Amino acid sequence: MNPIKHIARIVSAVAVFSVAALAVAQAQDAPPPGDAANGKRLFIAEGCFTCHGRVGQGGAYNGPAPILANTALPFDGFKGQIRNPVNDMPAFTSANLSDKDIADIYAFVRSLPGPRSAKDIAILNN
Amino acid sequence: MSKRRSSSGSSRRNFLKSAGLVSAAAAVAPPVAVTAAPAAPQPELKAAVPGPTQTAVETLSPSNDPVNQTSSGGDFMADVLNSLGIEYMAINCASSYRGLHEAVINHSNNKPEIITCVHEDIAVHMAQGYAKIEGKPMAMACHGVVGLQHATMAMYNAWCDRVPVLVFGGNIMEADKRGPGAEWLHAGVDIGQIVREFTKWDDQPASLTHFAESTVRAYKIATTPPMGPVFIALDAELQENPIPDAENLRVPKFAPVIPPQGDSGAIAEAAKMLVEAQNPIILCDRAARTPAGMANLVALAEALQCGVIDNAGRMNFPSRHPLNQSFRRAMIGQADVILALEMNDLWGTLTHFSDRIVRRSSPGTKPGAKLITLGSRDLFLKSNYQDFGRWQDTDLDIAGDAEASLPALTEAVKRLTDDGRKAAFEARGKKLAAAHLAMVEQSKTDATIGWDASPISTARMCAEVYAQIKDEDWSVVGTSIKLTWPHRLWNFTKPYQWNGGSGGAGIGYNLPASLGAALANKKYGRFTVSFGGDGDFMFNPGALWTAAHHKIPILYIVQNNRAYHQEYMYLVAMAARHGRDVSKMDIGTTLKDPNIDYATVARGMGAYGEGPISDPKDLAPALTRAIAAVKSGQPAVVDVVTDPR
Repeated sequence: MNPIKHIARIVSAVAVFSVAALAVAQAQDAPPPGDAANGKRLFIAEGCFTCHGRVGQGGAYNGPAPILANTALPFDGFKGQIRNPVNDMPAFTSANLSDKDIADIYAFVRSLPGPRSAKDIAILNN
Repeated sequence: MSKRRSSSGSSRRNFLKSAGLVSAAAAVAPPVAVTAAPAAPQPELKAAVPGPTQTAVETLSPSNDPVNQTSSGGDFMADVLNSLGIEYMAINCASSYRGLHEAVINHSNNKPEIITCVHEDIAVHMAQGYAKIEGKPMAMACHGVVGLQHATMAMYNAWCDRVPVLVFGGNIMEADKRGPGAEWLHAGVDIGQIVREFTKWDDQPASLTHFAESTVRAYKIATTPPMGPVFIALDAELQENPIPDAENLRVPKFAPVIPPQGDSGAIAEAAKMLVEAQNPIILCDRAARTPAGMANLVALAEALQCGVIDNAGRMNFPSRHPLNQSFRRAMIGQADVILALEMNDLWGTLTHFSDRIVRRSSPGTKPGAKLITLGSRDLFLKSNYQDFGRWQDTDLDIAGDAEASLPALTEAVKRLTDDGRKAAFEARGKKLAAAHLAMVEQSKTDATIGWDASPISTARMCAEVYAQIKDEDWSVVGTSIKLTWPHRLWNFTKPYQWNGGSGGAGIGYNLPASLGAALANKKYGRFTVSFGGDGDFMFNPGALWTAAHHKIPILYIVQNNRAYHQEYMYLVAMAARHGRDVSKMDIGTTLKDPNIDYATVARGMGAYGEGPISDPKDLAPALTRAIAAVKSGQPAVVDVVTDPR
């Protein structure tokens, strides 16, 4: 299997993900309150981590699984991607995740630390 | 697997022949019923166990059949293998090729060097990994029926990967020469049929001259693009019996086939299309066939100042070359001319496909984009297994070996490039270089997420390894499924620093194939490193014993996510599709309870082992110790407990 081919669409897929999310997110104000601790539990139990990583670092399914740590996606776009996803991400209906569950997961991924400066990590500059 | 036993002092077949005669005699003698009353007093039996066969063997006069010989067909077969410069023969020993095995050891002083493997799948995969580093095939030998059955999936991987491997399988062609029992179970009329759909050629020679010509022919076919595995059945009688006509035998002369170049007119047309294009792009997969391949591709890309997207089936293009755009695939949709070199899955690369309830596809190219293909892959296809992929429309389809054709294409491009185009190319190249730099910086930034997390992120795992080997003459010869961090973070510049994947996505490839590559690297003093999944590891852990036994140094990192993770994700998707319980999708997809201790497994095989390592702070010291072990000549395994991807 060519190791690069599928995952290497990350940049373009993130763009698609973001555009779709923004299309759904119309004039959003503040996201609904969420329980990040419960969101963390759901993130593991509902298998989100399998593609996006336990700390939201992203990964690969058939194609890219975008980074979610400290996501900049608005809540409505985030929820839209879960309910009616673009690409191959599975859709999660209310049978699996209620709107409240999604809000909790959103609170969790928003709480995850995003990237830091690679310059601060010496071995990333080899 | 049954192994034929040798008999001392007499030929085994002669023994069986004698035994058979006595058995036949016994069969016509009146049976003695256990319950029958004796008609007359019988002498007391001293021992009931020896039957008529054993009694006959012990009492009959020796046959006049010869019991010693001064030559054997196996000696000549070994000579043929050595004439081809075959360095190694990976085997799992088996009686059906014992004649060749003994001849290689005693007649040829263990040349080709026997590499002892504990499974035929390991032996073939080692040969696959070796060939992609060394640039030539090694041999593999096995039982012709059950051993070949074990070898099949690895041969399929080699077939899909277009890698030459010489596979030999023992057989006893003549029915009357087969002993009872296993020799019948392990013989076939046409043993090569099981691998015929995924080998380039096979034969069952019926004489030594036939063997010699077919083996040289097989070598030639295997190493002519498109390359692939070949199979030769070895008749036991030919191997074991004296050579009847030595004066008439000769080892055929082998001359390598010069790989075919694309038609000169077509090359000129391709050059014209590329030079006139505004946004050309080069796609490649198995374009580099020799160390010259990468340099040839760099020359073309630089002449055009166009982007290269490398599917990494071979070490095609330097990872940090400014024109390397492998992680900017959106470029495909912007290209007006696409040159595809030795592509394996061209349709898949150019198409958006959805793995959803309705499986839809749509072109990933812009309307009107022109596609040029250059490669040898389609020159040899078979029908059953569908590794050829879906049909892809092309505008100019050039049959020819890409590496051999690139110099002519580059020269044609240069001839057509006037000052105006040259200026445009330079401007394009500057934009691509900037985009490449941004891509590299983005990869570094992405790698920081979860840097201190446990389980360890795959980005950190790869960065920690690179930090410790970057100043070695390294060669990375395997990655776990979709592990792309080495190509995103490391500086690949040399032809042997990467050798592609399994080809057929058959699990169990990575560990033994990495060892085969390490075997090839050993004599050059290169530092071999490989990343492999835990699921892959468990298919062939016995390969580590081979590495320890033959002192093959390699740093093998087990990316231990404790799952067949791709399948785990698929099950999550299936459950979500149905609105059913996702939380149980670890059933049948994970490798936990108990967790497997890969370092202990490694030590049990005679290799060095470190781990399991879950805390990222512990990783660098463990790598330091493991690298020291590798430098002392040992295989070393580091078990890194990682997040899934």
